Amino acid sequence: MISERVVQLLPSRVRSQVEGYADALSTLLEVRDPRVLSSIGPSALRGTVLKRGKQGVPTTMPASHRAYFDWTYPHDFPEMKELYDRAKRGQWDGDALPWHTSVDPFDPNVPLVPEDFFAYDVLEEEIGVRFTPKEKAELQHAMVSWMLSQFLHGEQGALFAAAQVTEAVQFFDGKLYGATQVMDEGRHVEVFHRYLDTKMEKLYSINDNLFVIIDALMLDSRWDMKFLGMQIMVEGVALGAFGTLYRETKEPLLRELLKNVIQDESRHVHYGVLALREHVLNELDERERREREDWSFEVALLMRNRFLAYEIYEEHFEGLITRKQWRRAVAAARGMERFRHVMFSRMVPNLREIGLLSDRIRPHYTRVGLDRYFGGLAADQLSGDQMLAELDQAA
Amino acid sequence: MESIARRLERRWNTLKTDLTWIGRDLRGQKRPPVVARRGPSRYPVATAPRPALRPRPLRVEAVVRETPDAVTLHLAEGDGTPLAFEAGQFLTFHVELDGQTLKRAYSLSSSPLDGPGATITVKRVEGGRVSNHLNDHAAPGDRLLALGPSGSFVAGAATELVMLAGGSGITPIASIAETLLRTRDDVRVHLLYGNRAEADVIFRDRLEALARSHANSSLALALEAPPAGWSGLTGRLDEAVLGPWLDRLEHDRLEPSVDRAYYVCGPEAMMDGARALLSARGVPPEAIFEERFRSPADAPASAELPAEAVTVRVRAAGRDTIVPVAPGQTLLEAGLAAGVPMPFSCAMGGCAACKCKLAEGEVVMDEPNCLTDRERADGWILACSSRPRGPVRLEVV
Repeated sequence: MISERVVQLLPSRVRSQVEGYADALSTLLEVRDPRVLSSIGPSALRGTVLKRGKQGVPTTMPASHRAYFDWTYPHDFPEMKELYDRAKRGQWDGDALPWHTSVDPFDPNVPLVPEDFFAYDVLEEEIGVRFTPKEKAELQHAMVSWMLSQFLHGEQGALFAAAQVTEAVQFFDGKLYGATQVMDEGRHVEVFHRYLDTKMEKLYSINDNLFVIIDALMLDSRWDMKFLGMQIMVEGVALGAFGTLYRETKEPLLRELLKNVIQDESRHVHYGVLALREHVLNELDERERREREDWSFEVALLMRNRFLAYEIYEEHFEGLITRKQWRRAVAAARGMERFRHVMFSRMVPNLREIGLLSDRIRPHYTRVGLDRYFGGLAADQLSGDQMLAELDQAA
Repeated sequence: MESIARRLERRWNTLKTDLTWIGRDLRGQKRPPVVARRGPSRYPVATAPRPALRPRPLRVEAVVRETPDAVTLHLAEGDGTPLAFEAGQFLTFHVELDGQTLKRAYSLSSSPLDGPGATITVKRVEGGRVSNHLNDHAAPGDRLLALGPSGSFVAGAATELVMLAGGSGITPIASIAETLLRTRDDVRVHLLYGNRAEADVIFRDRLEALARSHANSSLALALEAPPAGWSGLTGRLDEAVLGPWLDRLEHDRLEPSVDRAYYVCGPEAMMDGARALLSARGVPPEAIFEERFRSPADAPASAELPAEAVTVRVRAAGRDTIVPVAPGQTLLEAGLAAGVPMPFSCAMGGCAACKCKLAEGEVVMDEPNCLTDRERADGWILACSSRPRGPVRLEVV
């Protein structure tokens, strides 16, 4: 670790960059399991040091997986067949959302998100200035644009992962269902992009840590890792964020958009649980199961600790405060706390349901305070409507 | 061998980008983490649903005289929302004159890019009650009742548009041409616009400026009675003028494979002539788009209608509903009142959004309307313009 004293001696521009590298390094050092570290390491180099996601040129990734054909077309998984039928009926047209709604991100009567998505008191103390209402509105606008931009990038990853998993999965009913998910993800890319383009009018580049996870999943040739990463972990974060935003935004178009997306996502996670439960139970040996269990735990922590709007920091606060101070301020925001709550209340029960929350790993979750989610409902017991009703109730 | 060389080259390029990136990072010359976006033209125009058959008020913001016989009204939605439409669409106005509600369709003549308001341009029609009324009396502050926007005379996927406009037929054409040229670099637009005399030419400055500033467009003006020294084309838009102009386009055409569409709007005779000529030249019907301005009958044909309510069975979205139709009510009015999800837009026989299949029974339809002979023969009717003569079974497709 580079000592803070040495960093202080560098010219300020270089200093903020070295801080960035140090931060990336400390993220990696937080990963305790050496196997997880070695599987994420190269992706982390490409994402956080080479910044492949931010170069402004297309990124190519050599995705390798085994396509699985079955020329007998078996009916091999009735629950997946049912999901497929439900997905067909649940298709919707992105054009049919009320796009004519005029959205003014700075209208205090229709706030995009509540003020407490930022811990202004902490930030003000760190910087030593008070924010005007206009500056606060700009930051809220930045925060929503940032979140939606990350959803969009995540959906692009989900689109490709869904297509790959559809090729690789061994259940034929799963392949049919998978085709609908590919369509769903395409539609999500469409609506988030359109909302950012026409309503927020800004797009943030992909967060380095999200890039790392997508990169790692694309390069992993094991379909169940792609699945676990995308369907359970990334979709888990997405559901957490969508849910929080759906509950708290007062902007009617965004609410309607998220409502539709959440219903799709609930199917996606449900499918993930079905496919992985079967796979973990019957196909993996104990060593392989443990590897996935550790991987999920580390990734969950990474998401919690590092998905922290650094792009907004670089836009507004770089040079004023350090990354560490920024991290503290973002982590302290009550809105972000609610987001983490919704995210883990979805993710942890799903991990339990697919057999990746054994007694061996539970103490680790308890250590970081996530044990209160052990008993929650998993995605196969929770429909999209129920999920929305729960969120509406909590609003 | 070549593939190895190419692979190496790709790796080298990636490495170069990576190194450049690190170098810039350390010099503090990062790419900004956020970019401004503004891409409304990529998406279809979002139109607010107008579920009621009742027109809503629009406010006249300004009135601009275009020619001695044509006036442009600048309009805004009465409730302050943007007046959203797709270039080429029209509004249906319900104008109260002498205790009678007259319905007229006017194309939106501005580009939707210049919102939140929009304009219509109204040319006097000889003996036309609404057009003369608006030319003589429209003033800022007036409120006009309107339905819509409606209509499918809009830009499609074609990358080369050949547009023929006569007189006030320029209104939707100007809107489409301007919107396309301002938002897309990959289209070519050729416009031939005919009028009687020089003073009749609407939007001359606007069209000439557009042609000047876009190399991928061309403009030709034709006059029946040109002044001395006129450098444009001379004559009506009939075969003698159209033929050579089309020949010339064909001659100048760079890529024969481009997807070409013809947009025609103007007086009835000109449109019929253009259609015949284009068909004779081998243009397939699906490449010809026409907008015909028709005024519906000002009073419904009442002679053959029953004096009592009749029941109508409407099948929509897979469900049958029994709908009572009061004397004088249209099928659309009755269906909507009974909660049947029937599509509609202009509600005056001009857009065919309410087209449905008559499975049983007879109706009286207001004429003229926009159904083609083919559609009539296949049993299609317009719910907005039809009244049942007795029990009827209807299918909303």
